[in-house]
Amino acid sequence: MKRKQTSKVSLKRLLQDNSVPIMFVLICLVCLPLAGYSPAYLLNELVTRMGRNTFLILALLIPIMAGMGLNFGMTLGAMAGEIALILVVDWQIWGIPGIILAMIISIPISILLGLFCGNLLNKAKGREMVTSYFISYFMNGVYQLVVLFLMGSIIPIMHSTLKLPRGYGIRNTVSLLSMRQQLDNLLAINVGGVKIPVLTFLIIAVLCLVIIWFRRTKLGQDMRAVAQDMNVARDAGINVDRTRIIAIVMSTVVAGFGMIIYLQNLGNFPTYSAHTQIGTFSIAALLVGGASVERASIGNAFLGVTLFHMMFILAPEAGTAITGDSMIGEYFRTFVSYGVITVALIMYESRKHRAKSQTGYLLALAQKEEEARAK
Amino acid sequence: MKSRRLIFQLALLLILVAICAVMMVIGRGHTVYFDNKAVEYQGTTYEAPYKIEIHVGNNADGDALSKLYDNERASADQIGQKITVTLIITQEKGGDEQPPVTYTIPLPYGMDGPIINLPAYLAGLPEEAYLSEFIPVITEEPEETVVIDDGMGLGDF
Amino acid sequence: MDKTDMEKTLENRDLMERFSFASRFGLPRTIIAGFVLLLFIMAPIVGADLTMQVGNVINRFSWNAVLVLAMVPMIHSGCSLNFGIPLGIIAGLLGGTLAIQLGATGPVSFFIAILLATPFALLLGGGYGWLLNRIKGGEMMIATYVGLASIAFMCMMWLLLPYTSPTMVWGLSGKGLRTTISLDGFYGGALANFLQIPIDPANGLYFPTGAILFFALLALGMWAFLHTKTGTAMTAVGSNPLFARASGINVDKMRLLSVIMSTWLGAVGILVYQQGFGFMQLYMAPNNMTLPTVAAILIGGAAVNKATIPHVIIGTILYQSVVTLTPTVMTAMIHMDVSEVVRIIISNGMIVYALTRKVKGGSR
Repeated sequence: MKRKQTSKVSLKRLLQDNSVPIMFVLICLVCLPLAGYSPAYLLNELVTRMGRNTFLILALLIPIMAGMGLNFGMTLGAMAGEIALILVVDWQIWGIPGIILAMIISIPISILLGLFCGNLLNKAKGREMVTSYFISYFMNGVYQLVVLFLMGSIIPIMHSTLKLPRGYGIRNTVSLLSMRQQLDNLLAINVGGVKIPVLTFLIIAVLCLVIIWFRRTKLGQDMRAVAQDMNVARDAGINVDRTRIIAIVMSTVVAGFGMIIYLQNLGNFPTYSAHTQIGTFSIAALLVGGASVERASIGNAFLGVTLFHMMFILAPEAGTAITGDSMIGEYFRTFVSYGVITVALIMYESRKHRAKSQTGYLLALAQKEEEARAK
Repeated sequence: MKSRRLIFQLALLLILVAICAVMMVIGRGHTVYFDNKAVEYQGTTYEAPYKIEIHVGNNADGDALSKLYDNERASADQIGQKITVTLIITQEKGGDEQPPVTYTIPLPYGMDGPIINLPAYLAGLPEEAYLSEFIPVITEEPEETVVIDDGMGLGDF
Repeated sequence: MDKTDMEKTLENRDLMERFSFASRFGLPRTIIAGFVLLLFIMAPIVGADLTMQVGNVINRFSWNAVLVLAMVPMIHSGCSLNFGIPLGIIAGLLGGTLAIQLGATGPVSFFIAILLATPFALLLGGGYGWLLNRIKGGEMMIATYVGLASIAFMCMMWLLLPYTSPTMVWGLSGKGLRTTISLDGFYGGALANFLQIPIDPANGLYFPTGAILFFALLALGMWAFLHTKTGTAMTAVGSNPLFARASGINVDKMRLLSVIMSTWLGAVGILVYQQGFGFMQLYMAPNNMTLPTVAAILIGGAAVNKATIPHVIIGTILYQSVVTLTPTVMTAMIHMDVSEVVRIIISNGMIVYALTRKVKGGSR
């Protein structure tokens, strides 16, 4: 009904709905000549970053489908992936087998953390996002407790290259030299100086297919019903709480895999800070692709990762070119990441608020009509 | 229905554990060291040949990993439980190269850095004679300050 | 709980809520209070100087209490926990840097800084309040990100704004503010040194009478305000917005007022913090103030929609005791410095606990 009314101004609506991606295209266009990178370098960087980050961003889709908003708790999955990687490095399992092993080890940790997060979020219906945000910070404390104090003292760590000189706790940086870009290099092809990590993209494609398939399963339909209206879904016999927990667990497991793919590309990671901003950046990237808090597609993820990383590559150089200070560009891209999330959250909440007051207004109108009729 | 589901889940769990086990076996990485050094075993001295050319793999094509003269050491990274090397041995200075011979040497799971003494191995001695472990020198290092602060999101993604 | 109490609780469930210590005080809060008690008991046993520790807690209380107080108005008007406190802090930083830039020195510069911060606080608070009125129900998440985005924005501004005072800008390039600015000769200790009482002068430990008095003044003002007609109206908006609207209160105006008050108190709070700490920290530093502040008031007994002055005082003392005592006591006990981890777990755990609790009264 509403769509018919607005079909006349569809172009305006189109622009409005895609205001964030359009804004980003503009930012990138301004920065592009200022940064002065060669197209080959730019393309190479972009392809590398797409392979590195898309999997992580796809982890956000399922909770959105279940109406739980942006899952800031994906950081939990990232932590699980890191713990798995630390163990695998210590056991000296190298190459692709090491990556596969780390992924499998991350599953139980992710499930455990996901169950914890999902259960808490069920107690905070209506404010899942802020709760998941702080759960990720809380778990960061627990992660530090485990990695900084329990590893090496209670959890056996054999290699002193991994341990702090004091004998327990993991060093600031964990080297993944033995697995570095193993996934990316297998089956990689080189097109005009641009290295394309085919296997990584294949894995991402498989995840996309799984997500598309999952939407059509009974569970996927249940999730969408829960997102529409929890009470209606409950009346229809869906176990709402369980469905929501499953959504978070799935997201956490995927995030764990994503983190391992991300880190094998980088080749080493800062033990205590690699995961802290993963949630923010992934969410910002997804939103840049035109997603909103209640709706996100695979296309949004791909568009988002392209535009967001274009900005990430260009901003520091462009900032230096304009102001002569290299820090400006870095602050700028941080500001833009936070800003995009802020804008998306504001649009979401104000739409919700407006819809609420509109229904209130309609109800009041109906009531008045009824009263008039009664007279 | 429910029991079928349970069986399915158990099977999945088993498969995952099995993959884990396989990965742990085939993915175990070693840094293998090769020594060309005289060795004494049960009273017999096994002299080192003048030169050993080492190729990783089962043929001598391509670049050699190293050419080891007496008292030299080379290293190779190897994933898995064994390493296949092709050796070209020159017994004496000025002598002719012998034809390449391929050997497959098992690597012990528990050793990160096995050292293989080639003269002993070539003489067909048992494992205890040719195999030893590389123990890295432990250096006193200053305590690292752990950085927990995340810098509020500065940095790359 | 003795037997007569038990009988009463069986008669009346409401009474149980009122009498049962744990349910009124909350389980995590009881645990933290017990933990602090344990720390104080253990301190002399492990050989820490108790006088010194208590003195430190008092001093840290005087630095942080006003910031924690800044949470109160917004919680009262139903705007939830003020994760947007960085906005107030930024107003305070602008006031402080401008005061130094304009050449103010000595303790007077503290009040000049407050004066200069006020218009910024009104402006930022006004905009922030206007925004929060548009997104009722989603305040906390948006506040968090408004705070983060504004910190990142100000990071650029600190580099670009044309400050020239040589005490503040980088010595080499002559532009861009330093990350840490010493307040010696400016308003460092402006309040704390007023009427200070020596506790342990050898270790430089004094009772910061002036700072405590300043907090008392503000707290008293807040208490008095909450009992005026406007104050009660604000509380009404927070506890039941529908009822408030029905009784003719302008809900949006009340919320706007509360946000402006919170922001201004945040600005004053950071200036008080700086005068105690002795340094002004710019760039990413405001981000580190949010969590301790929110966690402190929650530990004190506040909920997402309920906060009082005692909550501020108890919370700040408990939180600062944890921060001050854990490094010395825990390290001596288990030979591992877990203080930072304990702090992270306690503050975030407290926030998660508050968020996942069933909120009575229907406002969220």
